[in-house]
Amino acid sequence: LFLATLTYDTLRFEYEDFPETKEPVWILGQKYSVFTEKEEILLDVTSRLWFTYRKNFPAIGGTGPTSDTGWGCMLRCGQMIFAQALVCRHLGRDWRWIKGKRQMDNYFNVLNAFIDKKDSYYSIHQIAQMGVGEGKSIGQWYGPNTVAQVLKKLATFDTWSSLAVHIAMDNTVVMEEIRRLCQSNFPCAGAAACPAVESEVLYNGYPEEARVRDRLSLWKPLVLLIPLRLGLTEINEAYIETLKHCFMMPQSLGVIGGKPNSAHYFIGYVGEELIYLDPHTTQPAVEPGESGCLPDESFHCQHPPCRMSIAELDPSIAVGFFCKTEEDFNDWCQHIKKLALVRGVLPMFELVERQPSHFSNPDVLNLTP
Amino acid sequence: QERSQNLPVSSSNIFSPLQVVVERYQKEKTLPPLNRTKFLVSQDLPLSQFAVTLRTRLCLASSQTFYLLVNNKGLPNMALTMQEIYHDNKDEDGFLYLTYASQEMFG
Repeated sequence: LFLATLTYDTLRFEYEDFPETKEPVWILGQKYSVFTEKEEILLDVTSRLWFTYRKNFPAIGGTGPTSDTGWGCMLRCGQMIFAQALVCRHLGRDWRWIKGKRQMDNYFNVLNAFIDKKDSYYSIHQIAQMGVGEGKSIGQWYGPNTVAQVLKKLATFDTWSSLAVHIAMDNTVVMEEIRRLCQSNFPCAGAAACPAVESEVLYNGYPEEARVRDRLSLWKPLVLLIPLRLGLTEINEAYIETLKHCFMMPQSLGVIGGKPNSAHYFIGYVGEELIYLDPHTTQPAVEPGESGCLPDESFHCQHPPCRMSIAELDPSIAVGFFCKTEEDFNDWCQHIKKLALVRGVLPMFELVERQPSHFSNPDVLNLTP
Repeated sequence: QERSQNLPVSSSNIFSPLQVVVERYQKEKTLPPLNRTKFLVSQDLPLSQFAVTLRTRLCLASSQTFYLLVNNKGLPNMALTMQEIYHDNKDEDGFLYLTYASQEMFG
């Protein structure tokens, strides 16, 4: 006990504690008071899965890098936001990690999906290798959209979670596309990999499966990722209030982005500061023990989380939401619609019922100078 | 300075097409340059369709990011028409200036 106290006190010098402020602290849709709930805030933060640079893992692709230090930070942030989706899916938002306490099997199943080996669903190996299809060689830097696109592809193989992953491009969220994706009962998570024709095949060719579909839940849990650019060199101040609101919604998965060149996983804010988990610490890779148990302490950030001014945020981000049920999604839509009506708040993206038709347009001409 | 060298625009009526300049962000590393940067665009064209036209010209996959920013600042609502955006943001020289960019990369 003495040792534990000592370690905690030493860390307190390195990581600044929360400011004594009346402003609420928002963490992934939950509101806290610094005065009365400091322990609860830290427990919530510690319970998030924290993925950092690692060294000495099995070589990527057999002969590639054995460490991601210096290049993997956006891949790690992608793992963190997706792990939060899996936590919400399999354990619930209110689940908490308590050091030394025996956790349920589903917790280890989630953690195992991100362990640094080639056959985990969302390992650094899988992400780096799937990125080749997005034009990224192994070891190249990713942007928020790159990692989102790769995770969407990897999710198609995760039949255990059976998620519908939607990435809203062109700062536009189309409700119709999302409903179609979540109500399809195919074991694929990407709209691109799942053409609309297939749903007709289901009903016309396999009526039995269609009946099974009716009995099953009609909504696949949705992971919604929205890549954005909120300015050219710095974030346009007009978006700051909207960004804060993203952390206030119960469906919040946080935001991946960063300061220029270094990626962070933003999980909340207090006042004018963002609260984040930082992947820029190299830890040795963890190997599962012989009994199948996994030493998991290094996957939880046990010091007060880092903070930075919102104005320092690089404008390239991706905002994430998780809607387990159709009701959650409808509720999220209502939040976004209400937000658009607040005066002085500039929406970061548009929510529309259906995609405007995209015919090639003859009305655009080159203007010869 | 460069902008003011353009010829002043003759009086335009509600039917005449709008003059739009689309520039690549100086620090853009992923997206290719456009071979033409000045466009005549009909007033009732939604921005979303103008963006699709530009995406097609640049041969972009739908999974690639492509953002059009007005006056180097905001992401305009994609449902607005070019006329609405032009009205609120046009330059003194009579052109609407848009900048396109993808996303930054992080290590």
